[in-house]
This record gives sequence, C-alpha cells and structure tokens, in this order.
Amino acid sequence: MKLEVAAVGKDYLIPVIDSVSFAAEAGDFVCLLGPNGCGKTTLLRIVGGIEPATRGRVTLDGHAVIADQRHVRKVGVVFQEDRLLPWMTLRDNVGLVLTPLGLAAAERAATADRYLKLAGLGGFEDYYPGRVSGGMRQRAAIARALAIEPDLLLMDEPFGALDAQNRRIMQTEVRRIWRQTGRTIVFVTHSIEEAVAIGTTLVMLSARPSRVRELIKNDGHVERAKLVDDLNTMIMEEVERQQGAGPGA
Amino acid sequence: MIVAAWWLLSLRYGAYVLPSPVAVVSGLRDIVTSGEIWKHTAASLARIAVGFGGAVVVALLLGLVAFLSRLARGVVHDVLAVLNSTSVFVWIVISIIWFGLSNWAPIFTTFMITLPVVASNIVEGVASVDRRLLEMGDVYHLSGRRKFTAIVVPSTLPYLVAGMKVGFGLALKVSVVAEIFGVTSGIGYVMNYSREILATQMVFVWALVMIAVMTVTDKLVFDTVSRRLTRWRA
Repeated sequence: MKLEVAAVGKDYLIPVIDSVSFAAEAGDFVCLLGPNGCGKTTLLRIVGGIEPATRGRVTLDGHAVIADQRHVRKVGVVFQEDRLLPWMTLRDNVGLVLTPLGLAAAERAATADRYLKLAGLGGFEDYYPGRVSGGMRQRAAIARALAIEPDLLLMDEPFGALDAQNRRIMQTEVRRIWRQTGRTIVFVTHSIEEAVAIGTTLVMLSARPSRVRELIKNDGHVERAKLVDDLNTMIMEEVERQQGAGPGA
Repeated sequence: MIVAAWWLLSLRYGAYVLPSPVAVVSGLRDIVTSGEIWKHTAASLARIAVGFGGAVVVALLLGLVAFLSRLARGVVHDVLAVLNSTSVFVWIVISIIWFGLSNWAPIFTTFMITLPVVASNIVEGVASVDRRLLEMGDVYHLSGRRKFTAIVVPSTLPYLVAGMKVGFGLALKVSVVAEIFGVTSGIGYVMNYSREILATQMVFVWALVMIAVMTVTDKLVFDTVSRRLTRWRA
C-alpha cells in the first residue's frame, strides 16, 4: 500500500497548512513532527478522509481519498482519546467496527479477541473500558484500529494522555505490532524522542502555515542522539517563527 | 414519635380535621379486605399507563426527530418550553371542555403534563451524545442504523430513565387531581368522595396508598432499571 500526499493545503479562517507533500511505501512508519498548532492533527484527518483538504490530494495506491466518501481502502484511526464506547466490553468495542465488513458474530468476537491479545489485552476481553487503565484503553483502541486489517493506520498522539512509563511501554508495543503486522503507519507526535525511537520516516513540519521543513529517513545512518539534537534545534526555530508571525500572518 | 404527636394532635382537633392513626389504620384494613384498594389503584394506574405511556412514546419520537434534524431540535425545544410552563389546571379545564366528564380527561391531562418532562430529558440526552464517538463511527464506516443503536441509544437511555422517573411521579400526582372531575373510580375520585361524606380518615388512607405506589415503583422499577443500565460504570 502506497500513500501519497501531494501538495495538500488547508485553510480555516487563516491558512493552517500551506502545502505538504510526502509519500509512504508499504510498511513505512511515518512520524509527523512540528510545533504545536502547525496542523499535524488536521493533516492526519485529511489523510484519513475525515476532513476535506482545501488544496491538493491524498491517494492510497492511486485511489483518491475524499472526505465523507466511503473509500475502498481501509483506514484505521487511533485518536488522541481512546473513543471506546463505555457501555460495551473491550471485545464488543473491537467487534463493532467489524460489522461493516460483513463478518458473522462469532467471527467478529474471535477476531476481536485475537487483536486484543496482540495488543496485550488477553484476559481483559470482557472488561468495560471504565474498569481498565488509560494505557489499556489506548491499547484497546489500537486493537480496534488493527482489527479491520487496515491498509493504513493513522495515530494521532495516541500516548499523549499517558504517563512517561506507560508511554515508553506503549512505544515498544506499537513498534512490535508494526513489525508483526507490517502495516503502513502515520503517527503524529510532538515528542522528538518518540518519533526518533519508533519512526522510519520523519516529516518535520514548519510553523503555520505549514510546509515540510525536513524529511528524514531514520534508517540508522544518522546517530540517534544527533538526530534528536538536530530536530530539537529545528523545532525551536519553528516555534519562534510561529510566535513571531502571530496568528494573523 | 411522629405517630404519638399525630395521635395527640388528633385528640386536640377532632376526627374531622385530623383523624387518629388508629382510624387511618383501620380504614386501610377495610379497603384492603373489601378489595376497594385494588379497584381504585388499578383504575388510576390504568389511566396513567395510557396517558404517561403515550407521553413516553411521543417523547421518543420527538427525540428521534431532534436527533435527525438540528432545525427540528430548536422547534421541539421551544414547544417543550411552552408546555413546561403551562399549569395543570389549564389542561384539566381544557380536557373537560374537549372530552367531557370521561376517562379521557385525566388521561389527556396526564399526557400533556408529563410529555414535556420526559421529552426535554430525551432531547437533552440526544444533544449530549459525544460527537467524537459518532466521528469514530464514521471513520469505521458504521451504518447510520448501527451508529444509532450502538452510540445514540445507549448515551440517551440514562436521560430517558431519569425523565421517566420524574415523569411517573408527576403522572401519579396530576392524574389524581384530574380524577376529581367527572370519573367514578380512581384514587383522586375516592379521596374527593371521602371528603364529601366527611370521612377524613379515608382521605389520609388514600394518601398513604399513593405514597406507597410511588415508593414501590421508584424502588422496584426505576432504581432496578437504572442500576442495570449503568452496570458498565466503574
């Protein structure tokens, strides 16, 4: 599955995204980085077909992704919040998104159990979301996104609400799941350390209205510590530019 | 203590103003043995079932309309505000004019009074459905019907139960008042009749019956239902 983002831009009252282009091959783990408010989440929502772009186009294997239209390709999304239905067990939450795929109830439950197990939630299938920890809820949300066997998995700062320890555990888990399933992932984060630790392609966005400031292959050719330092310098420059520019620019 | 005070006061003011606890207990025993208690309670409950039941059905339809259209939600909201501020007496008088001295007068009054209470709860519940959950449903291509049954209905149910609980209490109070006019059965009728024949102790007895009906439905029906509905809460 090949993802292409071609000159995508978005205006609200002000231009938020000027023009962003990048591509991801099957099995890539793309991390979107950038200063707060530069439109990372918006870009992810455009890629997922949740919101329309003002300019440019997104294609999955050559098929255009258009907001509010059912696209052929399957896209799984993990939001900043878990967005689980509190009145359904973890199994039913995962099973629910399998209903449009036309699976029988027993098959849905079996698939849900399989992906919950993959996400480290074996034994918790019958729990309600309110009875497990925040980290476990986010794992269930990941299991839900994976269960539809998506061509593309989008994750929007999925560990933002977790403490440092759980965050590290979840990063390792996501990387393991990514290796096991070979899914193409686009992952939004504001943590450079996180991006360098888990991403294969790092897309650093500029201050608003955003463009791609730097596209880095994180394939081990550059030393991690140096990469983190470089990216930190870049993000500080962009933060300053954004503050200097003010919201009306 | 209360019973003792009641008894002393009843001695002071006489049986017409305040009958003694003994008279009330024996009155209660009389209507239980004669079966009158069931006859009138059943008559009142039957009217409530029709009036209040109708109100719940219409309220559900209004909730559905409010969910489907933002414009309709505004209209429903305004209509409910008007109904909510209309007095019980207005509906009693109007229903007597429209339906005469018949069963339909208390039924209609109950319907008109409980409708806004139940409906505003449902509309509020529908409005409070988490948009982020609906967006999740869109992302995973859930059908409109699936989103309705899996997301909208469970979010709204607690509001419905709360509205029905308040609405039922109101239905009981209102229908009893409406029964004073024109019908020959029901708790309201028999209370008013007891007053006319100067049997004040029976007024107290029926008041106790009303309280009992209210408490029992509250504890047995509504508390059980809301506990079952929220069993997923941590």
